[in-house]
This record gives sequence, structure tokens and C-alpha cells, in this order.
Amino acid sequence: MEQTVNNPLEASSAYNFAYLDEQTKRMIRRALLKAVAIPGYQVPFAGREMPMPYGWGTGGVQVTAAVIGPDDTLKVIDQGADDTTNAVSIRQFFAKTANVATTEKTAEASIIQTRHRIPEKELREDQILVYQVPIPEPLRFLEPRETETRKMHALEEYGLMHVKLYEDISRHGHIATTYAYPVMVDDRYVMDPSPTPKFDNPKMDMMAALQLFGAGREKRIYALPPYTKVKSLDFEDHPFEVQSWKDECGMCGATDSYLDEVILDDKGNRMFVCSDTDYCSERQDAGHRGPQHHDQPLGTSHSNGKAAE
Amino acid sequence: MYVAVKGGERAINNAHRLLAEKRRGDRDVAEIETSQIEQQLSLSVTRVMAEGSLYDRDLAALAIKQGRGDLIEAIFLMRAYRTTLPRFAFSKPVKTAEMDIARRISATFKDLPGGQILGPTFDYTHRLLDFTLMANGEEPATAHTADHPVDETMPRVLDDLLNYEGLIQDEPNPTNDDAPVADLTREAVKFPADRDLRLQNLARGDEGFVLALGYSTQRGYANSHAFVGEIRYGSVAVEIEPEELGFAIDIGDIELTECETVNKFKGSKTKLPQFTRGYGLVFGQNERKAISMALVDRAMRAREMGEQVMGPAQDEEFVMEHSDNVQATGFVEHIKLPHYVDFQGELELVRRMRAEVLERLAKADAADAENARSQPEAAE
Amino acid sequence: MIPQPRAPELLRGFENAAFESNAVFRTILDAMAHPGRIYDLPLDVPAPTGLNKSATAFLLAMADMDTTIWLSPDCASNAANAHLKFHCGSPITGTSSAADFAVARLDGDLAFITDLALGNAEYPDQSATLILQVEDISDKADMILRGPGIKESQNLSVPGLPAAFHTWRAENHHLFPCGVDVIFAADRKIAALPRTTRIEVR
Repeated sequence: MEQTVNNPLEASSAYNFAYLDEQTKRMIRRALLKAVAIPGYQVPFAGREMPMPYGWGTGGVQVTAAVIGPDDTLKVIDQGADDTTNAVSIRQFFAKTANVATTEKTAEASIIQTRHRIPEKELREDQILVYQVPIPEPLRFLEPRETETRKMHALEEYGLMHVKLYEDISRHGHIATTYAYPVMVDDRYVMDPSPTPKFDNPKMDMMAALQLFGAGREKRIYALPPYTKVKSLDFEDHPFEVQSWKDECGMCGATDSYLDEVILDDKGNRMFVCSDTDYCSERQDAGHRGPQHHDQPLGTSHSNGKAAE
Repeated sequence: MYVAVKGGERAINNAHRLLAEKRRGDRDVAEIETSQIEQQLSLSVTRVMAEGSLYDRDLAALAIKQGRGDLIEAIFLMRAYRTTLPRFAFSKPVKTAEMDIARRISATFKDLPGGQILGPTFDYTHRLLDFTLMANGEEPATAHTADHPVDETMPRVLDDLLNYEGLIQDEPNPTNDDAPVADLTREAVKFPADRDLRLQNLARGDEGFVLALGYSTQRGYANSHAFVGEIRYGSVAVEIEPEELGFAIDIGDIELTECETVNKFKGSKTKLPQFTRGYGLVFGQNERKAISMALVDRAMRAREMGEQVMGPAQDEEFVMEHSDNVQATGFVEHIKLPHYVDFQGELELVRRMRAEVLERLAKADAADAENARSQPEAAE
Repeated sequence: MIPQPRAPELLRGFENAAFESNAVFRTILDAMAHPGRIYDLPLDVPAPTGLNKSATAFLLAMADMDTTIWLSPDCASNAANAHLKFHCGSPITGTSSAADFAVARLDGDLAFITDLALGNAEYPDQSATLILQVEDISDKADMILRGPGIKESQNLSVPGLPAAFHTWRAENHHLFPCGVDVIFAADRKIAALPRTTRIEVR
């Protein structure tokens, strides 16, 4: 039975709360429950056309739209930042269609929709992390056919993936995958963590928050319940390791966060800043300073980012 | 001093204003009305309706205007609107056999019952720019009305004429009009896909993509030489049967182009040699799309016919996963979105791998030099 | 416009479909994400004869014309059938193996549970969800649960759960990723038992 409710606070809006009609939300919600019940398994769902392009986060947007309620507080990040254009656009979409509170603070959000990062701050049980996923199938670049990859998952036939990773090692001395680094979920399904840097993989393991993944164009939903074992694929002689930097964040001095490189000029000068903008500004508010922070004394700033202690 | 870039919201809003300004163009030139688009760019309108999967000429005209004439953008606008519409009913199958014919041709017979009806076609126009259209001066000539009306029950070449001899593969009507039909807009696509789903996918598929695939089947990337058995274009009635009424009511007419191709089939151990079919159906007048669709439909029946799959057009996963231009354009264009977090990971890896190679080379050089010193005679 | 029941004896469904469906769904999602943890039904909803409030709210939130419901004989009152047909538009089947959602009472005949759809290795999501109406749920340590969604262990007690249930559940768990997910629905409380959860029966 279709029941359309106009957004009570925006009488002009002809769309349902959170844009999607109730039947579509129910269809997505059913897929979400299956996804939670089968961690790491990709549940097919009848993804809808959204008023933003495929590839711009339509899967994450549909998941968020199916989950969000009037009391939620939404944070949207892209590349770790709240102010990247696409994050701004998605946040505006929900502010408009669901009239929910939004925030840039990780700690204040009940739902965080993300593209390419997991916040640095540890997430809680009462939070939900929604990932935008371009290619949900971790085996897709080894086998383009869905009929084949589905069989491989069914049979737990992941040899091909290990061979690929091991070929990297023999050729480069490293596993040459730096993002979308495949993980094994609860010892059963190999899963694509979305194109987050492998730096973020360890955060997924036993995370207290529920993690939901939406791939709109590929029409797949998958999930990690809280406290689920998530292991990055590796080998005994080549254990998984995350990226590290010799530098610190130029603004807040953090040495434990994922850093973006900022090119300062055409002479090779560069600096590093936290990709997680909320983490960085919180640290700056707490008085932490990096070498390039504007209230640092002149002359201490230098491009190779050595600590200005 | 480094200050992070902020102000995404303001930038977006202003970009939208600029876009609107560009769309309008020179304000000394009269603004185009959607009714003009609907009437005078009617083939754009029907393409947008077909690939937008929504038969509404006015909305398609609006979408074309809003999309600045970018038809894929217009198709996207239609799709995004369509998805919000509640579904009241499913129509009965349209009866193209009862089409109000505007054009009907067959390539397989010179003359045939019902005749060849040329109708409005570019086919025999000489492609010379007509500068009078630019001068905006001349009223186009009005067409003559034929002496006889078109045969009301225009026989179908494949069903009524070829099938008479049992030469063509029978395509039985479903016994039940209400039998469920797949709908990829309501259910996730699963493979292998049945023909109803494949046809729906092709009908909303990108015209250029389906054209290219159809073309590839003619150049050897599939083994199915096709003849156009019949193309018909005209309008058909759409009927629904509300449950509370218990009988069908006519809710309006739509224009369709239908193409049936005839393809050779050499027969198998269990089947006599006979002709097989490809089918294309598209909103509006669009023979290019209808013919291409029929070619690809036939190619994708390879599995059913026990044919070897040798070309992309026969590969249903390949075709169906890549035919949708809204999906394709979104994903192709999305790589312009920020990816600097991933790129940072790649930068770090490439730098590290280069450093390691250089270190290894330096070590090898040092070892060579050491060897050369300790074995001077060998160096000579 | 919210459709109102046409027949006077028909009970109302949700008063505000968008918000109430969301509230119920979020409770179910939390429950599935935290197996065995007990959640209060977030709202009050009238239940037709044969169904309790939690089971009714679950179906109002999750079922529609695209899902098939099976009601066990002791749940399948005319009122329940009419309620679900009107408010959910769901087809109601007499065959438990065809159900997306199967609803039964714990104190009834549970022989049907072995017929419920388990999904298959390629599509383990094509399985049934069992909504089992129970008198009470508590966190007494009759069962100790472990698995995804549970930090260390979670206690759960469902008074009256027969040994046959545990036998079936143990076999079911063994079929992972195929399997049936169970919702224990007390009148105003729910707890979930997804297929991943390992049960130690005390």
C-alpha cells in the first residue's frame, strides 16, 4: 500500500521523506537486513535512479535514505573532508529532502556517509557508517563475469585473489594494492572495502559501529555488523601493513592520521595535511600545531614537514 | 601559509547559476519553447522518451531544454523523475498487429499484402543542407493524402506471411496476457537473463551502443546474417484492466517502431532448417534503434540456439551491463571526482618501490666494484 | 493521503508510514546487528487477532506486494489476513516454503520450520525470515550467543523454546551462508537471531 507523506516542514516538496518512496525504502531495508545477516555477502537490490549521477554515491545515498529518520544527525565526507563539493551536495540533498540535522563533527553524527575514508576517530555502537561503493565485487578485476564471480563466492574459491596478490609480491616485492584492499569477513566472504586506502582497513575489524555498503550502479548492498572479524588478505611471509609517512600533518602535527599531500609550488615543495578534516580541526582546537600552521612563528615552516618542536 | 580550500557550497550554487546562464545563451535570441522542441525536434523527444523509459512528450521536451540539448542528460532527468512515480497499473500487451500504420516496409518481399508504405522517412533524401530552413522563410510542402487508406489489418510479414509455410520459428503468444514480465527497474538483474529482460534492457539501451553492437554482428562478430522482415511505425492503443472493472480500458495511444528481422538457422539434430527472428521495439519513430535492437536480440539468443558465442553482441552479460548510458556516463565521468586519498596511496607506493629499486641497484654496483677490486685479474 | 480502512472492523496500520516504518526498521536493524540484544518496540500499533504488536509492526514495516507472507494456522485469523492484505498488500501463501516472512507462535506446531527457504549458495539472501511470536524474552543466560554483532558474548532467554528448535537451528547454522534468520517477537519487545550466531544452550 503506497503511502506518501510530504515533508511536513517543506510543504512545497512533492517527494517523500528522504526522497525515496516507501516501497523502494522497504526493498532496500530488506536487502540491508539480509546483508547484516550474511556479513560480506553482496545482496542484489533493485537500485533506483537517483537525481544524481551513478558514480557520485547513489548507492550510499539510497542506503542512507532507507536508514535515516527524523532524529538522525548526518555527516557526509568525501576523501575524509566535509567540504568537498560532492559531500556538500549530498549533505544538502538530505537536508532538503529529509530535513535532518547535519554536522561536520564525527562524534555528533548518528549516520556518516563516506566516500573513500573511515574517520580517524573511533566510531561508537550508536553510529552507522555508510560507504559509497563503485565496484562492490573484489574479484571483478580478475574475472569480469558476474556469473563466474558469484560461483567463486559460493564455493569460497578465492585462490585467484591470492595468486594475484602473490604475483604482486614476486614482481614488486610488495602487494601493489594501496586502496580497495580486499578483506576476509568472518572467515567466509572476501569483500571489497570500497576504495578506502588500506590505511583504514584495520579500523573495520571489530568496529563498534554498523557498517553498510551501497553500490548503486552495480545494484549491490553489503554490510559488516558491529564486532565482526575483518582481516586484510596477506601472506605469512608478507604480512599486511598500512601506509606510513615520515611527515606529520602540517596543520595539527598528527602523526597517526592519513595524510594528503599538498603541492605548494612548482619547485617540488609540498606539505602534508590530515585527510580527515574534522580530526584535524579538533586537534587544532585542542592546541596541537603542525609546522605549517599559520599561527606558528615565521621561519619554522618548511616544506619537508620536519617537526617544529 | 596553507589554508585549506573551503566554500564548496557557494561554489556549487554559483556554478548552477552560471549553467543556467549558459543554457539561456544570448538573450537577444528568443528563448526556445518546450512546445517547439516537442514539435520540431520530435526525434530527439522520442529518443529521450525511449531511453528514459517514460512516454511523455512534454516532459521529454522540457528535459531536452533543461539539458541544453544533451540527450543523455535529458534521458537522465527523465529517469530520475520516472523513478519517483507511483505505479498504478501494468498495461496489457500492446497489439502492434493492430497498429495505426504510418510506415511499413519489408526487405524480404518486393510486394506483399498491405503494400510497402514509405511514410515519413529520411531514407531517400539527398543529404544536402537545406538553407531555406535556416532562412526561416518557407513553409514546408504539405504531403498528399493517398487515394486509399492503409489496410486496417495490415498483415505481419513474419507471423501472417512467412509462418504460413512454417518456415520461421514460431513465436507463440503467451497463453496468459497477465503472465509476469521481468522489469529491471523493479528487480535486480540476474544472469542468465531471459529474453523479456534482455529486450527491456535493449529498449532502454543507448542508441549508439546498440547501433555499434548491431553493426558488429554484421561484420562477423556473431554469425547471424539478418534481413529486415518488416518495419512498421505508427500508433497503438495502450490498455489497462483495473481490477475493480474486470475489463480493459484504453488510456491513450503511443507511437512505436517495431522491427522484425529474419535470420537463417541451419537446423539441428532435432530441428528442421528454418528462419529465426530478432525483435526490436522502440518508442517513437526510430528505425536505427529498432533494427539494431533486433540484430542484438537475435545475437543474444545464441545460447538458446546452441550457437557458439564469438562476439560481444552475443554475450548477454557484456551487452546488458554496458548498454545503459545513464550508468555508463555516470561511472565514466565519476573519475573526475576527487580521488586524492587513493592517489596518495599510489604515490607513496610508487615512491617506495622506486627507492627500493634504486637502493638495490646501488648495492649491486657497490658489490660489482668490490668484486672488481678483489679480483683484479678477472677484470682484465 | 493515508488510506483509511474501508471496513469498520479493520484496524489501523501506521499513522505516518514514513516515520513509523523507519522507527520500526531501525529497531529491527539494531536487533539484527546485535544478535540477542533485546529492543523495545518503538511505538504502539493495534494488532489483529493472531498477531502480537511486534509481529504486526514488523510486517507493516517490512512487507509489501513484493513479499509473500505465510501465517501458521494459529496466527492465520481472518482479521490477520485482512489486516496484512489491506495494509501491506502482500500475497499470503498457504505454503511455508514459499514464504519470505513466516509468522508462527512458539507454543504452536513448529514442524514447518524445516520447510522454510534457505537460499542457495549463490544467492543465500533468497531465504525466509521467521517471526516467532513468544511470550517473553529476557537476558537470562539460557543461551549464550557468539558471532558477528556480538562483542564477546550475549545472553538470551526465550522461555518455552523447544529442543526441536535448537536442533533445527544448529543444522541451519551449519548451512551458512544459507539459512533462516529468526526474529523473536514478544508483544512489545524483539530480539533477533541471524544465521551467523552461534548458540550455546545452557
